[in-house]
Amino acid sequence: MSGEMCNWKRNTAAALMLLGFVSVVAMAGCGDRKRPGEEVTLVLGAYTTPREAYGRAILPGFQRHWQQKTGQTVRFRESYLASGAQSRAVIGGFEADIVALSLEADVERIAAAGLIRHDWKSRPHGGMVSNSIVVFAVRSGNPRGIKDWSDLASPGLNVLTPDPRTSGGAMWNICAMYGAALRGFISGVPKEDPQAAAAFIKRVFQNVSIMDKGARESVTNFERGVGDLAITYENEVLVGWKAGQIYEYVIPRSTILIQNPAAVVDSYVDKHGVREVAEAFLAYLWSSDAQHGYAQFGLRPVDSEVDIAVRNRYPPVEDLWSIDYLGGWQEAVGAIFGPEGVYTRMYRELHGAK
Amino acid sequence: MNRSASNAKIESEVSLLQGVRPWGRWGLRAVAVSYLLLMILVPLGTIVQTGFSAGILVFIRDLADPIAWAALKLTLGVAVITTAINTVMGTLTAYVLVRLEFPGRRLLNGLVDMPFAIPTLVTGLMLVVLYGPQGIAGAWLQDQGLQVIFAKPGIVLALLLVTFPFGVRSTQPSLMELERDQEDAAYTLGASKWTTFWRILFPTILPAILTGSLLTFSRALGEFGSIVIVAGNIPGQTLTAPVHVYGQVEFDNARAASAMSIVLLALSFGLILMVDWLQRRKARMYAAP
Repeated sequence: MSGEMCNWKRNTAAALMLLGFVSVVAMAGCGDRKRPGEEVTLVLGAYTTPREAYGRAILPGFQRHWQQKTGQTVRFRESYLASGAQSRAVIGGFEADIVALSLEADVERIAAAGLIRHDWKSRPHGGMVSNSIVVFAVRSGNPRGIKDWSDLASPGLNVLTPDPRTSGGAMWNICAMYGAALRGFISGVPKEDPQAAAAFIKRVFQNVSIMDKGARESVTNFERGVGDLAITYENEVLVGWKAGQIYEYVIPRSTILIQNPAAVVDSYVDKHGVREVAEAFLAYLWSSDAQHGYAQFGLRPVDSEVDIAVRNRYPPVEDLWSIDYLGGWQEAVGAIFGPEGVYTRMYRELHGAK
Repeated sequence: MNRSASNAKIESEVSLLQGVRPWGRWGLRAVAVSYLLLMILVPLGTIVQTGFSAGILVFIRDLADPIAWAALKLTLGVAVITTAINTVMGTLTAYVLVRLEFPGRRLLNGLVDMPFAIPTLVTGLMLVVLYGPQGIAGAWLQDQGLQVIFAKPGIVLALLLVTFPFGVRSTQPSLMELERDQEDAAYTLGASKWTTFWRILFPTILPAILTGSLLTFSRALGEFGSIVIVAGNIPGQTLTAPVHVYGQVEFDNARAASAMSIVLLALSFGLILMVDWLQRRKARMYAAP
């Protein structure tokens, strides 16, 4: 009897071990294989902001487009994560055929890992599929009278912006602030004076009481009634409006053009045998239909014709500049967020060293 | 009495394993040990390796960074406060749930585990909704000039909620095991209720309380999900060590992230060893003739 019991126990243990082993193997081998014939699956690894633009406009649009052209049905497997996390997930083995991320640096990271082997920036618009700008969300009626960057430093204002360590969005925000200061668009800050620009950032951050981990969380907190102003993207505000939120936004005189890249991941499309349809999907992102799809869900189109068509919803900015003004992403990240960067030093001065 | 109980336990273990071939007996150990190594030691080893990848000096420099240091101090502070409060409140709750009868006891007993069942991110959100500027409690507190959410009290509040089950659940079983006779005997022999508690009840359940506090403390050191929502995450003010680690990971600085993790790990592990040592020493003292 007792022997039987033990046997049973041993078998259970062995079975459990086997089960564990099998599930590990199954998880490891869970890639997509090309399905012959009428159906093809594309895996999209995107950041969270354009979720609705993809889910409700662009992906269905491409499915129709591809069906008409080839008779094939495209299935999408979509994943939406914070841009940096998505980029790392792809490197870590999430086999996305196409990535659509919030910033160039996140695609570059995948390229540096050897998974994207072509010059993805040689595509139309430098590989960028949508744009946005950094704006200020303010309470209805703009009670604090916010007009431009310089107002952000006024004493007693409660400013929200996500943490640039965890959020690409916050990096855009701080780049926008820094660039606008360098370009001479902030009263009291002389043009092309990095020290004065850094001092201005410090003054604004003395007003920052909450740094959420992502752009969305930051806006959600603002919507919940926290703070007087949130530095955010235009598209976050427009999405908030769609969801019935009531607040206004202010476009500063000078702001950065946020450019969102997309690229085909060579290693995974080749592994899945879906290069043709993946390339077609990427090309489709620059089509008038897809560009209107972005515009419908808060993002500015990169296509100039569509841009003109939606001008009433996306007013032009007095001084709009790209990250190239700060020397491109790599240089900007080093100069602002690196170990001796403007932002890093500012926080050391503000709080760290006593 | 304790000793005979443990002898009986050993006997039953022997009888259970009788008739099993030697490889079977070792097989069981091998499964458990390799599972532990694979699931815990290997990942921990990777963290240690990454943290020290650039040498001990860089490791120290990563931690000596003012922002990292402030985050570590804050985390330790809130973990100590949380542990103190939840050790007392957890023990009290366990006592009430085990010893006292009142309507709704079973329901309350079930509620204790709820913080484990909710994703801590949701715990954070709940607290923001309740104590945030638009929340019922938050609006009132703000009128009193108290800021809870996006400040240090909010961090402690979140930790108290997340770690609450540890304090209760570690103490409860030893309270249930404790024969009521001993208390009654002491009480009838003239000891006051308070003396009965301190001399009879407390020494018996102390190891369980300590275990609970340790779990609470370790969990408080590592808590991320709720903190990242309620804290505000301002470096040098409300940025805790786990959120700092997350920031470093997101910023592709795995080394600094690992360095901080090693410190948190070492703190937890060191404390566990220390309490274990204390308990052994105490057990020896009692066992000595």
